[in-house]
Amino acid sequence: MIYDALIAPFIEFEFMRRALAAVVALSLGAAPIGVFLMLRRMSLVGDAMAHAILPGAAVGFLLSGLNLFAMTAGGLIAGFAVALLAGLVARNTDLKEDASLATFYLASLALGVTIVSVKGTNIDLLHVLFGNILAMDDQTLLVVAFNATLTLIVLAVIYRPLVIESVDPLFLRTVSRAGALAHLTFLALVVVNLVNGFQALGTLLAVGLMILPAGTARFWSRELTGMISIAVASAIISGYAGLVLSFQTRIPSGPAIILVSAGLYVVSILFGNVRGVVRQLFPAPHLEA
Amino acid sequence: MSAQLQFRDVTLGYDRHPAVHHLSGDVATGALLAVVGPNGAGKSTLFRGLVGILKPLAGSILTGGIAARDIAYLPQSADIDRSFPISVFDFVGTGLWRQTGFFGGVGKEARASVAQALAAVGLSGFENRGIGTLSGGQMQRMLFARVLLQDARLIVLDEPFNAIDTKTSADLMALVEQWHEEKRTVLAALHDMDLVRAHFPETLLLARGKVAWGATAEVLTAENLAEARRMCEAFDDSATACAVDTDASKAA
Amino acid sequence: MRAWRGLLSILAISLSASPLHAQTRLNVVASFSILGDFVKNVGGDRVAVTTLVGPDGDVHVYTPTPADVRKIADAKLLVINGFGLEGWLPRLLQAAGNRASIVTVTSGITPLKAGSDADPHAWQSVTNTEKYVANIRDALISADPPDADFFRQNAQAYLTKLEALDGEVRQAVGRIPEGRRRVISTHDAFGYFAARYGIQFIAPVGVSTEAEPSARDIAKIIGQVKAEHIPAVFLERIGDPRLMQRISAETGARIGGTLYSDALTGEKGDAPTYIDMVRHNITTLTSALAN
Repeated sequence: MIYDALIAPFIEFEFMRRALAAVVALSLGAAPIGVFLMLRRMSLVGDAMAHAILPGAAVGFLLSGLNLFAMTAGGLIAGFAVALLAGLVARNTDLKEDASLATFYLASLALGVTIVSVKGTNIDLLHVLFGNILAMDDQTLLVVAFNATLTLIVLAVIYRPLVIESVDPLFLRTVSRAGALAHLTFLALVVVNLVNGFQALGTLLAVGLMILPAGTARFWSRELTGMISIAVASAIISGYAGLVLSFQTRIPSGPAIILVSAGLYVVSILFGNVRGVVRQLFPAPHLEA
Repeated sequence: MSAQLQFRDVTLGYDRHPAVHHLSGDVATGALLAVVGPNGAGKSTLFRGLVGILKPLAGSILTGGIAARDIAYLPQSADIDRSFPISVFDFVGTGLWRQTGFFGGVGKEARASVAQALAAVGLSGFENRGIGTLSGGQMQRMLFARVLLQDARLIVLDEPFNAIDTKTSADLMALVEQWHEEKRTVLAALHDMDLVRAHFPETLLLARGKVAWGATAEVLTAENLAEARRMCEAFDDSATACAVDTDASKAA
Repeated sequence: MRAWRGLLSILAISLSASPLHAQTRLNVVASFSILGDFVKNVGGDRVAVTTLVGPDGDVHVYTPTPADVRKIADAKLLVINGFGLEGWLPRLLQAAGNRASIVTVTSGITPLKAGSDADPHAWQSVTNTEKYVANIRDALISADPPDADFFRQNAQAYLTKLEALDGEVRQAVGRIPEGRRRVISTHDAFGYFAARYGIQFIAPVGVSTEAEPSARDIAKIIGQVKAEHIPAVFLERIGDPRLMQRISAETGARIGGTLYSDALTGEKGDAPTYIDMVRHNITTLTSALAN
């Protein structure tokens, strides 16, 4: 019975195996990034980015029609432009990251809509650009795997300056130029993950598995590496359980995975070790010293 | 002795209002200089200009060719994200940036240095505490420990003993004196005149502009202090362009 | 709002009174490209047709623009499909303060069901299209009585072509072996085609382009294709082609090509007119399903 529910679907159907591989790869790349996003108060950047990439995709569409490669490339360029401009403005002016990102992505979205309407057709470009985890072909699987690998490697490289820059930016500024580089590299990494994630898996999954696991991890660990591990584990579990759920019921795959992830999040809010609600209501007795 | 720092007629401020007005002078290498003055005198602003965070409105500050990573700066109120999940040990460990850079391993030696630094500021046993759990004074001592580790040639401390009890400030002052013995250049902005008279050979009395600069005993006279107190704290929105500047350009 | 409508009315009246309009081309607006094609065939050069949702557009999720408000305000006749296809239309009409007469070309046709709603794609059956054309002809005649004979002649000629087309399709289907008259398609827009011509269309998602499949849906499709040996899988203009490719890879079913359902293509595409569209579709189907 359990075997049937939990294992059989993956043995029987190749698309299920591919979906599972994709969600594991996504978790490895997106979850750590999500932890940093959350700590730097940038959790809404995913949604902003989903809109910000439109002019790039539109130009790709204008030049090559419904060519996924051209549109993704265009989307990446637009995403980089918005992220880097927003990052530079946030570093060098009084405007903080949330406001500078919001202003740039809105401008970008408006530009994108204008470009699309110039062409005359009303194809929902973004709809075309956004993929589905059940449709993993070889090329897309490679993209997702590449993402994850690239992310892990780059994160390992910029880890130290990124951490310092997040907790005490002034300090890093006075001792090194690495802060700006780390910050902008991180933003670029976010864009790559998001755009490739959109194209492979759709916005809900790409953004959702970045942010929700990070939120969940907050309630179980007080320490950065612990948070990252828990976030990755939580994302993988959500992916697996979500796929099983989507297989047994009529819930679409993306939403199913995110619903499980959200469920884990709610459980964590209530029962988490670190400031979970239940812990706060029923605290353990205090110590001697 | 060669000059570590040279202030060349420097004016620093915000929105065209000068917080430090036409300051000139030299700080010798290895000096132990106290910077004192009433609130709003421009001490913090001066330090910000010194470490490169604030660009001068006029004039310049020369740092004798030392690089940014040779300067350790302890700001008055750091914009530190206390909710970030990092331990005291790791936070203080970032002071080893010069050695470790992006990748350098934090080996046994490094760990020992961190432990030592924590002990020197009285924070032994705090290694694994999250920085969010520290009191104000403990935070300040932690930042001090980081400065210790930075092993810098120029150390700039902005009101370092705020929120610290007398015993600890005595301990920390001993560290400052040790730095002086190690021929590092130290500047400290302070309010405690007794401390200044007891430990700092040189003082700059600042009240927007230089009131007096030199040996502490000669600077901290009743006369000078009264003059400094007469400085007006607020910016004047109706002020005209700087007379000194316009005179100078007329002369030129 | 009243001032705006007043302004539009003045604009409409002054435009219709201007010398540019002196030659009596009837201003007709069609909601999307397929209807536009019908109107052109019946109206000939006595009508000036504009369409709201142009070639390759998605009429289900269209967002009207201010230019569309102009188009409708200038029109004497508005040709729409009905059956819930143009969900965005009522608000547009409100904004345009429409004074044109409206013809719903599906009137008189009994709709097929798609879930709880009506399936709007009635034009997929050529006999329904004949009804469309008749409705359009009658509407044009009431809007422009002097040209009644002209319209009747054109309509008759076009209807003859459509009847021939209907016959073509039935013959083509007849040549496909009975056991192979089933396909998978991403877009469930071929209900009327299936009902009329006997090819079964099995779709993984619902009628709307928005719905996302669950893993169970996909598994069921794959199971069915394998169990019933369904020969071909078809890509739709709108929708994720990669999903179809995955199903094809996992079942061994052939990928048939592209079928057009909701929009004509541009001039250089496979389906610039309705008749071309139907011919392209049936040719694609027969070659995929042939042995």
